[in-house]
Amino acid sequence: MKKILVLVLALCMVVSLAACGSSKPAETKQTTLKLWCIATESDANRPAYEQAIKEFETAHPDIKIEWEAFENNSYKTKIKAAMNDPETLPDIFFTWSGAFLGDFANAGVAYVMDDAYKPFAKDLPEVMLQNSTYGGHHYAVPLTMNIVTLFANMDLLAQAGWDHVPQTYEDLTACCDALLAKGIVPFGVSGSETWCVTEYLEPIIEKTIGYQDMNEIFAGRKTWNDPAIATAVNTLQDMIKKGYFDPNAMATGNDQAKINFIAGKTAFYQNGSWNCGEISDAAGNFQAALFPVMDSSKATYGQVIGGPNDALAVNAKSKNAELAASVAFELGKGICHYGYLAGSGLPAWTPDYDTSAVKPLVADVAKIVAESEGMVLFGDNAMSADPANTYLDYVSQVYGCLIDGDGFVAGLTKDLG
Amino acid sequence: MKKLYSNKLHILIFLLPALILFCGVLIAPIAMSAYYSFFDWNGIGPAKAFIGFSNYKELFTSDSIGFMKALGNSLLLALLSVVIQLPLALGLALALGKGIKGERAFLSIYFMPVLISSVVIGQLWLKIYNPEYGILNVILRAIGLEGLTRIWLGDVSTALGSVLVPMLWQYVGYHMLLLYAGVKSVPPELREAAMLDGATDAQVNRYIVLPYIKPILRISVIFAVTGSLKSFDLIYVLTNGGPFHSTEVPSTLMISMLFLRNRYGMGSTIAVMLIILCFGFALLIGAIFKGED
Repeated sequence: MKKILVLVLALCMVVSLAACGSSKPAETKQTTLKLWCIATESDANRPAYEQAIKEFETAHPDIKIEWEAFENNSYKTKIKAAMNDPETLPDIFFTWSGAFLGDFANAGVAYVMDDAYKPFAKDLPEVMLQNSTYGGHHYAVPLTMNIVTLFANMDLLAQAGWDHVPQTYEDLTACCDALLAKGIVPFGVSGSETWCVTEYLEPIIEKTIGYQDMNEIFAGRKTWNDPAIATAVNTLQDMIKKGYFDPNAMATGNDQAKINFIAGKTAFYQNGSWNCGEISDAAGNFQAALFPVMDSSKATYGQVIGGPNDALAVNAKSKNAELAASVAFELGKGICHYGYLAGSGLPAWTPDYDTSAVKPLVADVAKIVAESEGMVLFGDNAMSADPANTYLDYVSQVYGCLIDGDGFVAGLTKDLG
Repeated sequence: MKKLYSNKLHILIFLLPALILFCGVLIAPIAMSAYYSFFDWNGIGPAKAFIGFSNYKELFTSDSIGFMKALGNSLLLALLSVVIQLPLALGLALALGKGIKGERAFLSIYFMPVLISSVVIGQLWLKIYNPEYGILNVILRAIGLEGLTRIWLGDVSTALGSVLVPMLWQYVGYHMLLLYAGVKSVPPELREAAMLDGATDAQVNRYIVLPYIKPILRISVIFAVTGSLKSFDLIYVLTNGGPFHSTEVPSTLMISMLFLRNRYGMGSTIAVMLIILCFGFALLIGAIFKGED
C-alpha cells in the first residue's frame, strides 16, 4: 500500500513539474549534408572552405555541413570508386570540370542543377558554367577559375640584367642564357608530375598554333597531325637541352618546385594561378606574366590556358539533392569570394564585395584574364580519362627527350586521331 | 563422434560458414574481376559493352599499355628476390641459428624493416635517394666520386635498380625469420652426430640443415616470387611506375587503368592475369621442389 502511495505521489510531482514548464516550440530538425573536397590542411583553398562553410552554417543553423578533405591524387581514386555506391558518395562533392565531370554526368550520378542555378544567375555568368554543361544542362557550380601563369622572380632576373619579364621568345632565351651564366636555374618544374610539364608545353603549343585549333584538337574535332605541334614540342625540348630547366626536376615534386622558386633557387615557375596567394605572401619581388608568342600569325600574347575548372557537384541519388544543389551554389559563391581574397584563384563569380584587399599578383592575373583573347581548358581536364592519360604519357616522354616533336605528333595521331 | 563424422550432411553444415566466408571474400571477387574483364566499362554507371577477350588481346599486344614491360619488371624482381634476397636471408638464418651471442637482438634488428609500414620505408628511401641532400649522393661527393652521383629515382637507367634495393632489403628479415625457425627445428643430435664424424659447419649446413628446411625454403621461394608479382606499395611511393614507365609493375598499371584511365574492364583483366600468374608460379615452384624430392 505504501509503495502504491509513493508511486502515485511521484507521478503527481512529475505531472505538476511538467505543467510548470513553459510550452516550447518543437525544435527545428537540422539537416546534415556531407561534402568531400581536396582542401586539405596544406591546400591553398583550405581557408576559403573553412570561412565559407562557417559563414554558411551561421546563416543557416538548420543545415550542418559535414566535410572531409582528401589529397588531390587519392581523391581522384576515391571519388571514382564511390560513384558506384550512392550510399558512400556524399551529398556534395568537389570535381574538376570538363571530361572528368562529364563521365559522372553521362552516368547519371551528378545532379542536374539548372533549377538551382536560376536564383544565382545574376552573380554567376552562364559562360562560367560552360565547362560543366553537358547536353545543355548544368551539372556543377564553378568555384574559382585559374590560368597557367609565368611567375618570375624579379630579384633573380635583375642579377642577370633584366628589369622586366621577357615578352618575346628571343628575349626569353636571352634572359635564360644570362641567368645560366650567373649560375641561376631559369625554370623550376616537377618532371615527375606530368601535369606540371603540361603547364609548360600547353602554352607553347597554344602560342604556336592558336587557341582555336588547340580547342578543336582537345575536343577531338581536329587531328593531332599538325607539323606546328611538332615545332612547339621541339621548342620545349630545345629549352630542356639548353639546361633551362632544373636538372633535378625528375626527382622533384611540384610542392618542392614551388618552394625552390619561392626560395630563390629558380628564376621562373610556370604553373596555375592558384599559386598567386602563396607567392604573393613570400618575401621577394615576384611578377606574373604569360609565355611569349611563338607564331604571331596564329596566336597572340593574350591567349591563355585555363578556365573555370574547380567545381562542386551534387550526388543525384542524395536524399536531399535539391537542397544540396542550392547549398552547393551558396557555398561555391563563398569559396570563390574567400579564395579570391586569399589568392588561391580568380573569381568565377562576379565580386559583390570589396576587392581592394586582393593580393597584387592575383590582381595582375585577374587583369590578364580580363584582357585575354582566347582560352583553352587544361588538356588533362578537357579530354576524358583514357585519352587524357595517353596524352600525358606522351608529354612525359617529351620531357624525358625519349621522343621528339615528330614522335609526339605521330604517337598521338595514331592513338587519339 | 564417429557417427557424426560419417554423416556427410553434418560435415557440410559444419563447413558451410567457412565455405561461405571463403567464397565471399576470395572466390566472388575473383569471379567478379573475371566477369568485368570481358567488358569495356568506365567503372561509372551501368553502361558497359561486352567485348569478349579483346581486353586480353590488347593487354598483350598494345605498346601504349606496356603490360609486358611491367610484367618483365616484376619477373626481374622475382628473380632477384630468389637469387639475392633468399640467399641473404638463408645466410643470416644459418648464422643466427648457430646460437651466436646477441641472437635475439640481431633477430629483432633484421626483422624490423618488415614491421615498418611500406609508406614509411618509401619516404625513408626517397630521402636517401634525394639528388641534393640524400645520403647516397652526399657520401659519393664526400669521397670524391661526384661523377657517380645520379638522380637515382628520376633517371631511367637507375630508377628500377634504385627501387629494387629497398624492396629486397625490406623482406630479407621476413624470409630470415621463416628460415631461422626451420634452422632451429633441426634436432641437435643430428648436428652433433655430424660434428662427431668430423663434418665442418659448411658441411653440416649443406647436408643436414638445408635438406631439413627444404619445405620452408619452398614456402619462402613461393612467397618471394608471388610477393614480387604482386608488389605495389613501395613502388607506388617511390616512383609510381615512373620515370617513363621504367619501374611500372602490373599492380601500378592496374591502378592506373582502373582509376586514372577509367578502364575498369582492362584493370580487371590485369587483376585476373595477376591471379593466374601467382597461382601458376606457386604451382610451378611446388612442382620443382617436388621433382627434386
